[in-house]
Amino acid sequence: MRQNRVHVRLLMVAGVALLWTTAVFGRLSYLQLIKHGEYLARAQRQQQRTIEITPKRGIIYDRNMRALAMSVPVKSAFAVPAEIADESLAARLLSGVLGVPQDVLEARMASSRSFVWVSRKLPPEKVEAIEALNLKGIYFQDENQRFYPKRDLAAHILGFVDPDEKGLAGIEYQLDGQIRSKSEKIVVMADARQRWFDGGEAQRERGANVVLTLDEKIQYIAQRELLAAIEKTHAIAGSVIVMNPNGGEILAMANWPRFNPNAASEAPAESRMNRAVAALYEPGSTFKLITLAAAFDQEITRPGEVFDCENGAIYIAGHRIRDHKPFGLLNVADILAQSSDVGAIKIAVRLGAPRFYEYIRAFGFGAPTGVDLPGESKGLLHRLDNWSAISIGSVSMGQEIGVTPIQLITAVSAIANGGLLMKPHVVQAIKRGDRIVQSEGPLATSEPRRVIRPETAATLRRLMEGVVLGGTGKLARLDGWTAAGKTGSAQKIDPSTGRYSPTQLIASFTGFAPISNPAVTILVSLDSPVGLHEGGQVAAPVFKRIAEQVLSYLDVPRDVPLNPRLIQAAYKRQITSEGTTLEDFSPTDFSGQPDEPPTASNPVASDRPVPHAPEVTMSADEGGDISVPDFSGKTMREVTEMCLHLGLEPLLVGSNLATQQVPEAGAKVRRGAKVTVQFGTPSPAKPAKAARLRAKSRH
Amino acid sequence: MARSRKKTVHTEFHTVKRIDNSRLVRHAEPARMQGFYRTAGWGAVLAVFLMFYVYQHFRCIDLSFQLEDLKGRQTKMSALNSELRLEIEGLRDPRRIDVIARRQLGLTEPLPTQVQEYDAPAGAEVAAVRYVRANRAQ
Repeated sequence: MRQNRVHVRLLMVAGVALLWTTAVFGRLSYLQLIKHGEYLARAQRQQQRTIEITPKRGIIYDRNMRALAMSVPVKSAFAVPAEIADESLAARLLSGVLGVPQDVLEARMASSRSFVWVSRKLPPEKVEAIEALNLKGIYFQDENQRFYPKRDLAAHILGFVDPDEKGLAGIEYQLDGQIRSKSEKIVVMADARQRWFDGGEAQRERGANVVLTLDEKIQYIAQRELLAAIEKTHAIAGSVIVMNPNGGEILAMANWPRFNPNAASEAPAESRMNRAVAALYEPGSTFKLITLAAAFDQEITRPGEVFDCENGAIYIAGHRIRDHKPFGLLNVADILAQSSDVGAIKIAVRLGAPRFYEYIRAFGFGAPTGVDLPGESKGLLHRLDNWSAISIGSVSMGQEIGVTPIQLITAVSAIANGGLLMKPHVVQAIKRGDRIVQSEGPLATSEPRRVIRPETAATLRRLMEGVVLGGTGKLARLDGWTAAGKTGSAQKIDPSTGRYSPTQLIASFTGFAPISNPAVTILVSLDSPVGLHEGGQVAAPVFKRIAEQVLSYLDVPRDVPLNPRLIQAAYKRQITSEGTTLEDFSPTDFSGQPDEPPTASNPVASDRPVPHAPEVTMSADEGGDISVPDFSGKTMREVTEMCLHLGLEPLLVGSNLATQQVPEAGAKVRRGAKVTVQFGTPSPAKPAKAARLRAKSRH
Repeated sequence: MARSRKKTVHTEFHTVKRIDNSRLVRHAEPARMQGFYRTAGWGAVLAVFLMFYVYQHFRCIDLSFQLEDLKGRQTKMSALNSELRLEIEGLRDPRRIDVIARRQLGLTEPLPTQVQEYDAPAGAEVAAVRYVRANRAQ
């Protein structure tokens, strides 16, 4: 009996234990098998943080590996409104830091409960200020911001990006897929104190770097001279292209109006347009080069052949076409030099429309050049079937055809390099690390195509030199180098009348230098200059200014002796008034509008040399407490250092050793006064004087 | 005195029990001892392994913290590097240099007479010239 009772008790204990064990295992099974996913997700939410690595765009360099566009990490502030206890207070505090109206921030926070941007791409000081507020529910996200450190330099080629770093124009758009890397997310574990550990490794492969064919110094020269021309002529727009005719590399491409890509959204769409590849215009007389190229290549005429230019008027299919000036008998060389429309028409008529059309197409007109920039226009060229009886006359003198500057300079480069049409390009290489990425599609290089015979090109180069030496392009004559070119003054169509405007013209000049081995081809185009408006008057001097600086920069050997009067003209180029200060060039703030020009080049002085001795303007600002030292016999460097040390502004003229100065040594001037010092070879008496002075100073 | 006389006298006997257990010899059990040592060895190995596992687990977590800290510092340094490079490029802006040269230093464009040209060494030619010649040969 007693044994039975013990047995029952044991069974009861065993049963309870079994039940307890079953319950525990059942619960474990329930948690592990049924509720596994839910609790795993909850744990991950508590312990894991997902971080998005934003894409970092590659760097865009010029041909000398100077960065033109680069990205820098910045922080953006975002809010999780669900975590914010008092949205109004948070908005008020943030408003004070960010300068954004409180109601705007409140509206943003009300728009979502989980995520809302407070402000993107903040400067470090604002990030610190927000961090100091220590607001719950306000976080930061790492992003990258695109900067263009040279501001508007090559802005139309580089393009710009949107706030999400997506390319919207220029190379940024054209190569967006390669410059921009893919964004990716990594997961990191966080402990109870939200410290990160066990972070995953992101690939962090930044976008490919792009090396352009541009040279930033040549680009700067082109932009500066274009700006000077725009200010002088009051043209509404303009373009300058500098190209290497031997490879099709674009060394510079400048446009006006310009814009600062760091603040592209503030610029009007018209300013952001790359006119060099997108703007159509009737080329005018510059197209006579194509007419003559076709004629010489087909051997239907020769440079010495004389044409009757009908005293300035010719009838084509019943239409009277007048020359810009009455000409009588002119040989072909003079037809080009004097830009006779009648002569060009007669040559084209002899050539015939079909052959002329073939050459126009062969030179690349009526089709995109394939330049690796977006938005290229293919130009406007009617099919031969649609040519009217007057078309051959119009096209031969550059009317009834629309071209882009890039098309025209490509064609002129073919004449410069001996007859090969090169594909223009601005991308030299795409690099991922040290590895060069193969170019595809429009970036792929193509073989140059022969369009005219070398003999034809040589003949044309000689005739184009005549344009510069004695024709309409005399103001393009270079000092120290031979040059060839052609002027163009194309009337614009007045939209109100539908007829050619007598006052609105597109003045252009396109040429190359030196003639024997052309190093650069330059095209200058000015839209609607006011006052002087002929291409030879306003565009040719710009060509001269650019060519002389670029050839000197490229160390192209001079092939003609220097004009001695040049020295006097060069003295005149002293810049004495400028509006720009160094404060405008903060190396860390690029967000401003394009800066004012530092220099206003004075092409007039260089174009019209002064026949007498150099005129050096010397100014004195006396009446201060700084004693002007004696600069005689000192070098430019010594004089500059002494002036800067004393707080004087040196104006140095000439070279060699200091010979004269204004104010005189010992004069009292105020701080910041200008001191003009003339340098030259000291006369024999002066060294003796200097020696005496030195000896005196030793005793 | 009477009380002391009534005192009982107890006699103590000392007996010597001689036990000879020299015949009881503990049998040597090498197999069992071997098993014991083996078990102890395995236990020790297991304990070391467990301790190593625990050590490396916590060490791993500690290193992860350090790694993340270093990654953060590397990111900051990288950002600083980018900012400095941007500043350098800003300082190299040709227009800025132009302004410094003309306004601060009073420099002007070199006159043609100030540029000294040297004859190219024998056989040297400009790259562009080579390119043109190759083209013209076609």
